[in-house]
Amino acid sequence: MTSSADTAAATGAAGRTALVFPGMSALKYADVARFMLTNPIARRLREEADDALGYCLADHYRDAEEDYAESAQAAFLLNCTALAQWAVGAFGFTPVACAGPSFGAKAAACFSGALGFADTIRLTVELARCEQDYFRTEHTDVVTQSFVRTPEEGLRELLAGMDARGQWYEVSCHVDRDFFMVSLREPGLDAFTAGIRALGGLPLYAMRPPMHCAAFAPLRERAAAVLDGFTFADPALPVVRDQDGAAVTTAAGVREMLLDGFVRPVRWPDAVRGLRDLAVTRVCVAGPDTLWGRVPCTVEAFDVLAASPRAALRPRRYAPWAPPAPVTALAPVSAAASVKG
Amino acid sequence: MWDEEFERILRDRLPFLPPDEPLEADLDLTANGLDSMGIVDLMVTLEREYDVRFGGDLLSLETFSTPAVLWKTVTALTSPAA
Repeated sequence: MTSSADTAAATGAAGRTALVFPGMSALKYADVARFMLTNPIARRLREEADDALGYCLADHYRDAEEDYAESAQAAFLLNCTALAQWAVGAFGFTPVACAGPSFGAKAAACFSGALGFADTIRLTVELARCEQDYFRTEHTDVVTQSFVRTPEEGLRELLAGMDARGQWYEVSCHVDRDFFMVSLREPGLDAFTAGIRALGGLPLYAMRPPMHCAAFAPLRERAAAVLDGFTFADPALPVVRDQDGAAVTTAAGVREMLLDGFVRPVRWPDAVRGLRDLAVTRVCVAGPDTLWGRVPCTVEAFDVLAASPRAALRPRRYAPWAPPAPVTALAPVSAAASVKG
Repeated sequence: MWDEEFERILRDRLPFLPPDEPLEADLDLTANGLDSMGIVDLMVTLEREYDVRFGGDLLSLETFSTPAVLWKTVTALTSPAA
């Protein structure tokens, strides 16, 4: 069940709401510039980001030549954070948890209070540099291919064939029941996508650098050294881990979640289940989202409130956002008893 | 030229194309808001409405690049020889 932001707000759809921060997708500066430059929350965060980075983030983002340049990553984080704060005030809800698949885990860590905004911006940029440096020399022939409409059983058979031929691969992301991302060596990509088509699946994009593979353990080590420069706090809101749906409630847990993101696959249906275990009935997807708030496993489990840059630019009454209060209790509630399915 | 149903289905999935602007044959569908989830939804809807099944090499993002390419594909799939 999906409802537009306006519909949900107008009907006052109640229930327990979680914030979901989307994984990063390529986003042109022009598509988000108006929100980023004119929204008062985004403006305030830009000032904070500029101070933290020592350069004008918006200018660097505008001039970036690559979709996933460090400035594009920092800007994505900023816009998601600003949209979350805007949504809480504009739609008038108190989030009970947050989650963030893939890149969104950083924004979730920030919103939960585990890491301050300026620190999260610096962390994002430092991790972007770390990753770029790593993949300059390591796994240079590995890509992550996304594909949809592929039954898991058929995929398993396709991967078993690769096992039999001694071809390396890892499943990097379970987006939905029939939507996956697999990392593999580029020379085998054409045969793999042909196999996906033979199953009736639609290959989407081959992404470089690749992501979420156990083979990237050395990258995790380098990232751990980066994270050593930051102090995490216990989150004020439970953060539902994108790798298995567990509710993370400690500083150390948030740190491990971010590091494990390099080496463990995203399992979004498990995260959905984790949110349901917290009796969440509605998710507010904060950011420019093209995927996570729209896949069937999300819309079948929750009402979805889209806090997109476009939604935020519409005139609306507004109550300012305040940081979440510390968690006092974290009692999983039976999903069957209290969550609509 | 495509039929009205095709145009309606396609326009519903192009959030950046103003209703009063024509759907040109070579319109860049991605630039007009057709993203990956939109492509999946579009494919499923066309399969249902035209009683066809996209398969083989047609399962490619290129199939969904412009209205002309997509309509040509749908036409080929609905032709008796398909």
